[in-house]
Formats: sequence, structure tokens, C-alpha cells
Amino acid sequence: MMTAERGKRLTLEHVSKRFQREGQAAVEAVNDVSLTVEPGELVTLLGPSGCGKTTTLRMVAGFEQPDAGRISIGDDDVTTLMVYRRSIGFVFQNYALFPHLTVFENVAYGLRVRRLSESAIRARVRQVLELVGLPGYERRFPNQLSGGEQQRVAVARAVVVEPQLLLFDEPLSNLDAKLRVQMRAELSRLQRQLAITTVYVTHDQEEAMAISDRIAVMHRGALAQLGTAEELYRAPRSAFVAQFIGRVNLVESRVLGITGGRMAVALWDSSLGVPAGAGYAVGQRLSLVLRPESLTLVTDSTKAGEGEVVVPGVVRNRTFLGEKVEYAVEVGAAVLQIVSYDPTRRGVIDVGARVGVACDAAAVRVLGAAP
Amino acid sequence: MRRDPVLAPAVLLVWGAVGLFVLYPLGRLLVLTFWNAGPSLDAVRGLVGDWTHRAALINSLVLAALVGVAGTALGLGFALLAVRANLPRWLTRALDAVVLLPLISPPFTAAIALIFALGPRGLISYHVFGLTRVNIYGLSGTLLSETLTYFPIAYLTLKAVLANVDPNLEDSAFSLGARRWRVFRTVTLRLATPGLANAFLLVSAASLADFATPLILGGTKFPVLPTQAFLQITGLYDMRGGAALCFLLLIPALAVFAGQRWFTERRAGSFVTVTGKVGAATRVKTLSRTAVVALALVCGVIVALVLVCYLLIFAASIVRGLGADNRLSLAHYAHVFSGGLKAVRDTLVIAVICMPVGALFAVVLGFLVSRTRFPGRRTLEFAAMMNYALPGTIVGIAYLVAFNDAPLALTGTAFILVVCYVFRYSLAGTRATSAVLAQIDPSIEEASASLGARRDVTFRRVVLPLVRPALLAGMTVLFIRAMTAISATIFLVSLSWSLVTVRILEGITNLELGQASAFSVLVILLVYAAVVVASLAMRRLNAGSLGQAGTLLGG
Repeated sequence: MMTAERGKRLTLEHVSKRFQREGQAAVEAVNDVSLTVEPGELVTLLGPSGCGKTTTLRMVAGFEQPDAGRISIGDDDVTTLMVYRRSIGFVFQNYALFPHLTVFENVAYGLRVRRLSESAIRARVRQVLELVGLPGYERRFPNQLSGGEQQRVAVARAVVVEPQLLLFDEPLSNLDAKLRVQMRAELSRLQRQLAITTVYVTHDQEEAMAISDRIAVMHRGALAQLGTAEELYRAPRSAFVAQFIGRVNLVESRVLGITGGRMAVALWDSSLGVPAGAGYAVGQRLSLVLRPESLTLVTDSTKAGEGEVVVPGVVRNRTFLGEKVEYAVEVGAAVLQIVSYDPTRRGVIDVGARVGVACDAAAVRVLGAAP
Repeated sequence: MRRDPVLAPAVLLVWGAVGLFVLYPLGRLLVLTFWNAGPSLDAVRGLVGDWTHRAALINSLVLAALVGVAGTALGLGFALLAVRANLPRWLTRALDAVVLLPLISPPFTAAIALIFALGPRGLISYHVFGLTRVNIYGLSGTLLSETLTYFPIAYLTLKAVLANVDPNLEDSAFSLGARRWRVFRTVTLRLATPGLANAFLLVSAASLADFATPLILGGTKFPVLPTQAFLQITGLYDMRGGAALCFLLLIPALAVFAGQRWFTERRAGSFVTVTGKVGAATRVKTLSRTAVVALALVCGVIVALVLVCYLLIFAASIVRGLGADNRLSLAHYAHVFSGGLKAVRDTLVIAVICMPVGALFAVVLGFLVSRTRFPGRRTLEFAAMMNYALPGTIVGIAYLVAFNDAPLALTGTAFILVVCYVFRYSLAGTRATSAVLAQIDPSIEEASASLGARRDVTFRRVVLPLVRPALLAGMTVLFIRAMTAISATIFLVSLSWSLVTVRILEGITNLELGQASAFSVLVILLVYAAVVVASLAMRRLNAGSLGQAGTLLGG
């Protein structure tokens, strides 16, 4: 019963929502967001606080009504449907367990509302409590549970009704760091096992990358970019996405020449060949994405390899983190972040040392270019 | 949330009820005052020409101001002693228990007791001090009796206010070199100022509305508005004159109510004394030993007076005639349980019906105003509060005007008595509901909705169980008020439905003080029992903050 593919496709078409607070200008919380979540897929809405991700989720749930646009679950338009008529499971940031009910009654709540028989309720509650690893907890009250246990009850309560859509609103933000990592693995396993279409809201990019099939990065109420974690990391379409997904050095550059499918761009005083982006013209200014781990420090700044650019710099800061060392290296007027792994084998460079920063052409991306 | 199939009918139902039982009677009252085959000011003009009525207006205002000042001062003394004097716990508890007595007693209690204690042949005035020229009737007696009856309101208000003044603030003033009196003046009292104003207005409002005390102690030389309105109607059968007197009373009552609301709403913004976490526990040092002793002396005298009053009531109920024939006798109780039994039974029946009806109304109203959005929400909240805020005499006369004839000839029925109590005394439950709901994250209700529960199902399965403490608090207040109220319902009783409080009044006017005392003792015992049961139940519900009976009755 719990393994069948029963997730439905979720579609958002040009959804907008503005909030009007007393005596203040209206705030455009969500602005023309279109998004499709495939059956059984887990899509994360990722962004800083105030980017509209939670409002979007709450509109999907039906807690808020969009001012414009259309939301469909499967083939049904649910834009104005009351919450309780949508088949959803919602996991709240604070879990929102009913404090006056036991774990059993909390989980059974949705089943009782659906008027299932007592024996069916008992069987399904037991099954789902086993699924989340809480057998034997039936008679406890929420205030007798740890944060992680409350989290599991909240998930059990949401999935026991076999919803067409599972919605998570920053479910792990109240847990400590270690538990967060453990719980996100569990949530991911559970979601795959149940194959319920899921929308997951978080501001933690690592969490998003760990559990999502695809990530929708949101910025100021709009959808900035949608793609797999790898796509977003490798080919960010905007400086915002590049900076939000992982760490990045954005280097100003311009197009030196275009030949066939490739173009030459300036990197410091050298020229670098990269795949040509659509719509670029010679002389146009652009930004290059250089990830800290794709830059290497070399002791000899004059010897560049094939397809490689080397520029001299000075190490200004160094943070030793065990498996890696983070450097801040001054190159011209800019400071580059560089990560070097396995310091035990490769050694550590001192602050103040003159070094060369080597950059492989294959690792350079033009901002906004196709992956 | 739009398109909710349950919200609109619920709002309409509550609006309908409030419209019929709050706005309609008040409207009829105003129409009767200002409409006599055309707009007319004759009724009001008639009042101004009459010496008694002019005096009644002035007396009411003066009395309210004096009782307000005296009650607030006394309340402040008790509150300081309770929260700033480091008294042992049992002593504060005992203080609370004694102070609670006047709040839950039937009306007249303090008045009768004062006649026993300080009357022409009073126990204290005549038998202890041998005074013969003490006059308990008039302004002084009414003032004393009302102060003793209403200072607990100020005490409960100020106790909460002072408890929220963080002692660490006083410590920081000490650390800056201020001495005790200066710290008390510039920090403690300064932070409690809005609370003091609020307490003054609450006590004044209670005095303005008090009908029972001046009826007994005012006499003919000290008329006040509620008693004059009562006499105009029951004595002279002059409904229009009574309505006009009500209008005179309405103006200061509304002014006091508006002022009180202004202070309570401002208090939230101006002094943020209620911080979630109190700083390091510190011993309060603002009161010197001398100050504590002085306060204890004053409060001790008051406590003794209150206790003597109640002992006298009890004594009067078990002797033939206190002061004249002091032989023990159970005759008064025999009367209560024979001829008086019907009134006791009627009162209990009405109280018991009021409890669930009123508590449910209170919770629904509290839920609607604090958890839903609909047009006219604030207006509904205000309208529902009217009957509570206005003096009972006004409400009673308005009901009499509105419901005495067809199409709604309801006076004298149990129904109208229940309705009167429900719309007058549900507010405590509504406030308790709002307070409980404020502590419950709205996501709990959203969780229920996301699991497929409609608004009404969520209300029944989630909200109602969570607000059980508020429900209980609301029911307790309704029970206490139904047992002890008189000012409004005296206009609505009949031969078929009578009330204990009305029998007490009859006992007093027929000079059967022993019987009145026996009825009073019975009511006090019943109400005290209810308070104890409610407190125990509260403790089981883990509702600490609402658990004290005091909070049920304060404000």
C-alpha cells in the first residue's frame, strides 16, 4: 500500500501573491512563478528568507490564495480549493503536533477525519509509525518527545493519509546540525519509498542539494533558476544563483573573439577559450564563474600548462579545516577564494607567500551560458 | 481564508444573537428616552428639574471617584504586600483567600455586615466602643462598604502589574545610587502607573454600577443613579423616567469604559515590562522593614474588618436576632430550605443552564475575534462587550423595555434570565479563550486543515479541547455571577422564576436580616465550593496561569 506510485503532477502557472499590511505598501511576495513537479519527484524551493518560498508552498497547500495564476494537482485546478479538500500532507517547521493528543491520536487524526474504521486506523497508524522508526510510541504525548521524535511523528501524520502531495516547510531547521543530516537522509529514503510528489522548502543549500531531484532557487519572489543540483552548480544563470549554490569567485571579463562554437574571453591578462554562449558579441562584458576548488595554487607563477592560465598572487589569509585548507589570495585588486584538499599530502602554504593561481579552462563557466 | 462554508453562518449567528440581545434592547431604551410621538427631550429635561435626580447624578460621580481612589490605594497596599514584601507563601495564599470573599459574595453582604458592625446598635460601634451617634447610612457608609467590596479588583489588577515589574530593574536603579524611596517612586510606581489608572477605572466602574449597596446604605439622603432608576420603575411605574435615568448613567459608564480600554491597549505598547524571561532571580529590596510593617498593619486591619463582617453574617444566620435575641437557632436555615427553597432551586437551575451555553458562546466568540478575519470583526467584539461594560441596571431596564411586551414578551421566564447572564458574563470566558489561543501557534489549526478537517471539525477536535481551561474559567465565572448578580435580573424575575439574591433583598427590606444572612451564607458556600472545584480542575488541566480563581474574576 505504501509503495505504489501514486504521486500526482503539481503545476504552478504564473502564480503571484502580494501582501497588504496595514499602513504599508503592498509587498510582492511571489511574482509570476511557474513550475512543474513531476509525479514522485522531490523539488526543493531554495532561497534566502523573504524570497517567497514559504508563501509559494502555503499557496500550494491552500493556506493562502494566489492573487493571480493557477495551481493544479494532477488534472484538477485547485487554485481556490479549500485546504481540507486537497489531498496534501504538510510538515510544519514547528511540527504543529496537537498537544492534547497522544502520538497515536495525532497520527490517526487525518484518518478519523476521513472516517476510516477503527481497525483500519489502528493498522495504518502502526504501519506508519514503524516506517518512521517510532513503534511503541503510541501513548506518549508530544511534550514527552525529543525534537527528532516530534519530527518523525509530524512526518507520520502527514503521510498516513496517503496524500497526493507532500509539503515540507523547513522541517529540519529546529534540529541540531548532526540530527539534521541524519533526518534529511531518512526523509529522502522515505520520500523515495513512498514516491509521493514532494515540495520541500529550505534556506540551506547543502540540505537542498542532498535530498532534491531538482532545486528551484527563488529570489525576491521570482523563480531564479530550476535544475538539478549539478546543473545549478555547474551552470548558474545569474550571479545570485552562483553565489547561493556553493562558494564562487565571480571575475569580470569581456569577449575577445568568437570563432564557430567557441569564444575567447579575457581572464586577467590572458585569453581563455570557452564554449560560446548565445547572444554574445565581441567586446561585451561578462562574468566568469570560478569555483574555489577548481583553482590551484602553484609555486611557479610563470609556467602555464596547456589550456591553463596562471596569474601571480599573494596569500593573505589561510583557514585550516582538516580535510581542506581555504586560502584568500590577492590577485591584482581582487581577492580570490581557493580551496585545496588533502593538505596532509599537498602541504600548506604560508600567509604572505607569493604564489601562482592556476585556472583550468575546462573549469571556467561563463555566467548564464548553457551547461 | 475565503470560501469557508462554516465561518459565515457562525458569524451571522453570533451577530444575530448580539443584535437581538444587546443592540436591540439598548436601542429600545434610547428610543423610549428620546422619542415620545416624535423626537423629544422631555424625559431628560424632567430629570434635571428634579432635585433628587440631579443629586443622584452628582452623588454617583463623587462616590465612584472616591471609591476608585480608596479602592486603588487599598489594592496597591495589598498588592505591594503580596509581591514586594517577600512574605511566606502560605501568608500570601491566606491573603488571597480572604480578599476573594467580597468578590464572590452576593450583593448586600458587606452592607448588611456593616449594619451589624457599625450600625446604630452595631457590635463594634456600640458594644465595643459605646458610640451611639455613628451614622452608617449615607455617603460614608456607602463609601466604606463599596471600598471593602471592590478593592479586591484593584488588588488583583495591581498584583499582576507589580509582578511583571522585573526586580532587576529596581536593582539596576539601586546600582546607580538611588535609595529605596526614590527607586520605588521612579521605577516601581512609574512602571505601574498605567496599571494604577486601569485599577482606578475598574473600581470606579464597579461603584458606578453598584445598585445593592446604596439601596441598603444610601437611604433617602444619598440617592444615586442606579437606585433612583430602580425606584422610578418599581415604585412609580415610570418607565420613561427610568430609561432617562439610565441614559444619565450611560454617559459616565461609557466614559469610564472607554478610558479603561484606552489604558489597557496602551499598556501593551508603552511600557514593555512583560519580558518573556525574567532576569536572574533577585530578592526584592524596595520595601524597607518599616514600610512592610506599616503596610501589614493597614492590610491587617482591613482583613480583620472583612473577616468580622463575614463572621457577623454567619452569626446572624444562626441566632434568632443578632443583637436583640442572641439564642442559637436554625430557624433561618429552616426557612431557606422550606419557603426559600424554590428561589435556591431556580437560581441553581439557571446557573447550571448558563454555564455550558455561555461558555460555548464565549469560546466561539473568542475564536472568531482572535483567529478569523471577517468584515466587522472589531465591531462585533465591541458590541458583544456592551452588556458586560454597562451597569446592570441599564441592561436590566433595557431588557424590561424590550422584552416586556409582544412580540418578545420574555420577562419573567427562565429564558430571559439565562440570556441576560450569558450576554453579560461570557466576556471572562471570551478573554480567557483569546489568551489561550494566543499561546497556540496557528499552524496547529493549519495542520488539522491540511489533514482534511473542515473549519467546524478543526474547531471541535482541536480548538475546543485546547481551550478547555478557558471553557472552565468561563463556566466558573458564569456560575458565580448567576448565583450572585441582582442589578440587571431584578427587573426580569417573576413569581415563576425567582432568584436567591432577590430573596436576600426582600429579607432586608422586610427587616428579616437573619433570613437574608442565611441565604447569603448558603450562596457564599456554594460559590466558594465552585471556585475550589474549578481551581482543582484547572490544576488537572495544567492551566497554571488561568488556574487562580482571582484571574477568573479580576476585570
